[in-house]
Order: sequence, then structure tokens, then C-alpha cells
Amino acid sequence: MKKIRIFLLSGFVFFGFAAIGWADEPITNWLTSPEGPLARAVRSNFYFSMAAFLPFLILSEVLLVYAIFRFKAKPGGQAATFHENLRLEVLWTVIPALTLAVTAIPTFKTMRAMEVPPKSDLVVAVIGHQFFWEYRYPKYGVQFAEEAMVVPAGKVVTLNLSSVDVVHSWWVPAFGVKQDANPGRITHAWFQADNPGRYKGQCAELCGKLHAKMYIDVNVVTPEEFEQWLMKKKGAAPPAQAAGSQ
Amino acid sequence: MSDRPKGLVRWLTTTDHKDIGILYLVTALFMAVFGGAFAGLLRAQLSAADLKVLNPDLYNQFLSMHGTVMIFFVIIPALAGFGNYFVPLLIGARDMAFPKLNALSYWLVIPAAFLMFGSFFVQGGAAQAGWTGYVPLASRQFSGTAGVDMWILGLHLVGLSSILGAINFLVTIINMRAPGMAYFKMPLFVWTWFVNATLILFATPVLAGALTMALTDRAFGTGFFRPSEGGDPLLWQHLFWFYSHPAVYIMVLPGMGIVSHVLPAFSSKKIFGYKGIVYATAAIGVIGFMVWAHHMFTSGIDPRLRAFFAFMTMVIAVPTGVKIFSWLATIWGGQIRFTTAMKFALGFIALFVMGGISGLTLAVVPFDVQVHDSYYVVAHLHYVLFGGSVMALLAGVFFWFPKMSGRILDEKLGNVIFWLIFLGMNITFLPMHWLGIVGMARRIYTYRPEFEFWNQVASFGYILLFAGGMLLLYNMFKTLRKGERAADDPWGAYPLQRTLDWSVSSPPPVENFAKIPEIA
Ligand code: HEM
Ligand SMILES: [Cu+2]
Ligand SMILES: [Cu+2]
Repeated sequence: MKKIRIFLLSGFVFFGFAAIGWADEPITNWLTSPEGPLARAVRSNFYFSMAAFLPFLILSEVLLVYAIFRFKAKPGGQAATFHENLRLEVLWTVIPALTLAVTAIPTFKTMRAMEVPPKSDLVVAVIGHQFFWEYRYPKYGVQFAEEAMVVPAGKVVTLNLSSVDVVHSWWVPAFGVKQDANPGRITHAWFQADNPGRYKGQCAELCGKLHAKMYIDVNVVTPEEFEQWLMKKKGAAPPAQAAGSQ
Repeated sequence: MSDRPKGLVRWLTTTDHKDIGILYLVTALFMAVFGGAFAGLLRAQLSAADLKVLNPDLYNQFLSMHGTVMIFFVIIPALAGFGNYFVPLLIGARDMAFPKLNALSYWLVIPAAFLMFGSFFVQGGAAQAGWTGYVPLASRQFSGTAGVDMWILGLHLVGLSSILGAINFLVTIINMRAPGMAYFKMPLFVWTWFVNATLILFATPVLAGALTMALTDRAFGTGFFRPSEGGDPLLWQHLFWFYSHPAVYIMVLPGMGIVSHVLPAFSSKKIFGYKGIVYATAAIGVIGFMVWAHHMFTSGIDPRLRAFFAFMTMVIAVPTGVKIFSWLATIWGGQIRFTTAMKFALGFIALFVMGGISGLTLAVVPFDVQVHDSYYVVAHLHYVLFGGSVMALLAGVFFWFPKMSGRILDEKLGNVIFWLIFLGMNITFLPMHWLGIVGMARRIYTYRPEFEFWNQVASFGYILLFAGGMLLLYNMFKTLRKGERAADDPWGAYPLQRTLDWSVSSPPPVENFAKIPEIA
């Protein structure tokens, strides 16, 4: 009986670690290959805080399991009688507090990086609709909806987000970006994708019936391809009547 | 005793705190069957990609009702049930301060439940805006049918019920302690309810206000939350979380109180750091009001606010940690008896630590931005609510059932129940951390195929949970009919702990004490 339990428990722990190390073609890989400086900063911040927090998780769980096996009642056994220890109590208040103070520093740094973008190369207005995204490139007079956003690689893209109906949230994990799009106010985000490719995401705020299908696609292309794409967009759809939905 | 009405009349007219406690607990159990069944439907729909068990409308209805029911109709009433039954008993009082008000608090829950469950049968079905009811999705424009109105009115009623209950608890604890019971002699379960009632008193009226604003926006076209009228949808989020963040402590503090009775009882030791735990409980209560916007890190609030709320969220981890270490020190060096209640209490520690640490990672704003509204949050919240509140409640069920019914739950079955629930809980929710990190959004009725495997695992876990739940119900019915009779102090907890619940008969007589005890 006892063997079975130990077996189950260790299988369970193994399962936990296996879960962390395994991904079957995830839609994002911000952990294995974050895209751009912001996503990389987010990842290092994540690793740093995990390194700070995990010891506490492991310590508590190990102490718990140890106590369970070690202090099993025995016939005639005597329980200890201590029930206070000021030094210990101060210690387990102060050490976690200090650890948290230390993790707060890189966290605030990364937050600053998220909030203060470098000089913008491209501004895109992102507008949430039930249940699709509309993109506008004011500088180029281009606007469209229900297709992939296209941006040049290696450039700083700043987003101004809003919504025409309910709250949506624009989330592309590989870029380290998630930002709500609210009706009646404009929110901001930025990213810089270094490598061309197609990046996937989806709406992250319950927005109604088809919330689950409100996908996001971003095509990151070379700057030349981006110019070509712009020309084509302008030729194909004059800005005044673009974005079929409006 | 003899002039108490019998049968149905007794339960309909009772003002005895013990009867009302049992009514709350039975109601919560009944609701848990529904809430659990809704969870099963959600997991069935998610057991493979692109299934059609539920259509998107129904998925969102069951999702919203699962969350609402579990929080407002299972955990909060169940904790109130134990509170009603044991707080007067533990402080040496004969009843709550206002017995009739107490009955009213309970009876308000019933029409509220009818409004919630009834909403499935009105045109358009139940509310679909999630248990958070974010506007504008929950506004008349986007949820025009009666579902959201019934949801709002139902929450109004349970809110009122909690507020009245909280007043009753506070007055009872302040005024009705037996002679000699100083504040620092109160058992920890009483302390957690004391802080809890204070939290409810400050937080729940804010929810009531927010709900009223939402209702007038819907019914009379006011514009509290409508930008075109000068309102702001974010106002709803602030008000809602100003209530709902403290609410998570409302849902876990009394659970911590229960665990603080169970652990020492079965370790044959006194609780370690009693005062430290009291201070930590109070600190959690106070700081709990300063962290609500950590639910809004991606909403576009001012960066300085994000920094403040991230910081406060980290701060609140400290008193929580103090409690966990104190519990570990309580069992350290003890003579641990592995009763089912004790297993649930130990399971509580194991799972709550996990939920606490994942909560801490969410205070790290850049990481939160990655996983907010993803399955990582679903995992976190279930580790806290299921692993925290529900495990503690189950510890309480096995611990106090003999006191309340006079019969001991079958411990052999209890063992099986514990392992089904403990393993089932982890198999269901552990993989969700990973799903969230790799990009699965929450509140979605279907997902991209790459997420299928771990969702299958999670749905399998539900089967174990379901089996555990059914077995628990069976155990209760069986025990009530022909279970082993319980002594007054079946666990031998009294000699060391001296809590008054174990000093009276099982079940305790009407009015609890022939003579009000004096506390030395
Ligand atoms: C029987 C075991 C349970 C299972 C299988 C389960 C499953 C689920 C699922 C699949 C969701 C939807 C997540 C999403 O799509 O975002 C969910 C949400 C939720 N569950 Fe559970 N759950 C269980 C027990 C509980 C318990 C005991 C509580 C009580 C506190 C609870 C509270 C919640 C809440 C608050 C939500 C959030 C609802 C929302 O996103 O609006 N669940 N649960
Ligand atoms: Cu959306
Ligand atoms: Cu959405």
C-alpha cells in the first residue's frame, strides 16, 4: 500500500515536470524562441522570478512530504510540545520579503520596457470587433479587416488599440504582447519581430459567442516585401472604402 | 428540546444556529452537484478539439454559471455553514446574536438560486458574460435577454445574505464570547471568521453598488459604464474586482481556520505560532483591499497603478507564507494520525502552496501579461479554490461530521475519496498551467488542435473527481443511515486543544451549553 502511494506520488511529480518540458507544436514559442527584444525581456524576467519563487515551492512541498513520512504516529510515541519560536517566525517573514524585494527590481525594469517603446517605425491602429480584427495604417492610408496584419521585420511597431463594441484583447504570445482593446479609450502596446514568419495568437478576453474563434495572425515580412504589400494594398483597395465591415 | 417542531416544519422555521449551519451546508452540497455537473459538461466539450457537445452559446452559459455557482452558491455558503454551526459553539455562546436575522440570511440564498438556475429556462438562456460579467458584454446592447438581469438580481440577493450574515458574525464574536475568552484566546476558526466578516462588510456593498449600476444601465439606460454617456467600462472592472479580490480571501480564510484546527488535532500538538497566524490573517484582510487591480494588468490602466498593484500583490504573499510555515511547524515533531480529515488538511497545504506560488508569478506583470486570461489562470484559480477552499471544506466535513450528526464517516471510503479527489484535482488542473503558457486562451469552447493532448488529460482527471464526489455523497448517506456512533470527542482533540466544540455532546443540545463555560 505504502509502495503504491510513493509510486503514485513520484509518478505525479514526474508528470508535472514532463508537462513543463513538452509542447506539441504550440501556437507560440515565447519560451523557446521569443520574438524580438520585448519578448526576450519578458522571458528573462520570467526565468528570474521563477528562480526566486520555485525554491519556496519546493522547500514547502519537500518539508511537507518529509514530515508526513517522518512524524507518523507510533504506539507510545510522544509529540513534541514546542509551539512558538520567535526567531523562526521572524526569519520566515523576512527572507521571503527580501526575496520579493529583489524580484521586484527586474520586474519593474521589464514593465518600463513594455510601457516606453523605442522610437516607433510603424504605427498601427488595432480595432476589435465581434469577432474579428481591423487594422489601420494611418501613415499609408491603408485599412483592412479579417486578414493577417503585415509588418516589416526588425522594426518597432506601436499599436493603438480600441474596440467598437465589447472588450477584446490582442494577444500574440511570441511577441510578449497582450493588451485589451476597450470601447471608449485607446490603449497602447509595441513589439519588434526580428524574423519573418507567420505568428499566431487569439483574442484573450471573453467577447461573446465566437470569442474562441477570434484568431490573430501576423505576417512578419522583410522591409522590401512590406513595401510591395503596401503598394498592392493601396492599389487594390482605396483607403476610403476599405475594411468591408465599416 | 421537546417543544422543538419536528421534520420539515423544524427546518423551515428554525432559528437555531446549528440547524441553519446544516441548512447552509446541505444547500451548498446540492449546488455543488450542479456546479460539478456544469464543469463536467465544459470538460466534455473540451475533451477534444472541435467537438460539438455544447454549442458556443451553451458553453458560455455553463461556463458563466459554473463559476458563479461554485463561488457564490457552493464555497461561500458552505463556509457560512461551518461558521454558523461552529462560531457560537467555539466561543461558548448559545446562539448567534440575531437568530432570526440569521435565518433570513439563509433563506435569501434560495430565491437567489432560483433566479440563477431559472435563467437557463428563459428566452436566450442564462448569462453568458462569465462570472465576472464584464460590460459592455453584459450590457443590454450585447446581452439583451433576461439572463443577465436574473444573474444580477441573484447576486444582489446572495450579497445581501452575506452582508447580513457578516453583521451577525461580528456582533456575535464581539459580544457573546464566554467569560474569560479574550480575543487572543479565541480559536483560529473564530478569528478567521472575524476577519472574514469584516472583509464582507467592506467589500460586498461595493459589489451591490456595482450591480445596481449595471442594472440601471440595463433597465433605465443610465450610462455608468457606457463611454457614449461619459461612463467607462473599466469602472465596472474596478468595482467588480474591489469586491471579488477580497472575495478570494473570503473564500479561503475560513478554510485556513478549519485547517488550523485539523492539523494540531491529528498531530497531537498545539498550533504553531498562534499569534503569528492571527496577525497574518489580519494583515491579509487589510492588504487584500489593495491588490484588486492585479486582475487588470492588461486593461490599460496607468503604469503607475500597475506598479503599485504588482508590489502590493507581492507583499500579500508574505503573511500567506507565514501561515504555511506555521502549519508545517505544527505538524513537525508531531504524532501524525492519518485520518481522512488530516489527509485533506495536508492535501490543502500541498495544493494551496502551489496556488499561492502561481499567484505570486502573476504579480510579475510582464509574465502576467503573457498568461492573463489564459489557462494558466484557470489552473491557478482552481489550485486556490479547489485546492484551497474545497480541500479545507472537505477536511472540515470529515472532522466535524461526527459532531454535527453523531456519526463518524466511513474512514475506509474516506481514504479512497481523498485519493480520487487529490489525484483527480492534480491531473485535471496541473496541465492547464502548461496549456496557458503555450498560448491557450481561457473561456473558449474549442481550441487549436495542438492543445488537444493536455486537454484530454484534464478531462480524464475530471472522471476521477466525479467518482470521488459521488463516493463522498454515498459515504454521507450511508453514514447517516447506519454509521458508527460518535463519541463527544471522537478524535481525542479536547485534552490538548480545549476547543469547546468537543466538550459538548454529539450532536450538541439545543442552546449548546447547560451552563455557559468559563474560560481559564
Ligand atoms: C469538478 C472539478 C472542476 C472542474 C473540472 C472545473 C472546470 C472548469 C472549467 C473547464 C472552467 C472553464 C475555464 C475557462 O474556459 O476559462 C472552469 C472555470 C471556473 N471554475 Fe471550475 N472546475 C471545477 C471545480 C471548480 C470549483 C470547486 C470551483 C470553486 C471555487 C471552480 C471555480 C471556477 C471559476 C471561478 C471559474 C472561472 C469561470 C470563468 O472563467 O468565468 N471550479 N472550471
Ligand atoms: Cu474578441
Ligand atoms: Cu474574445
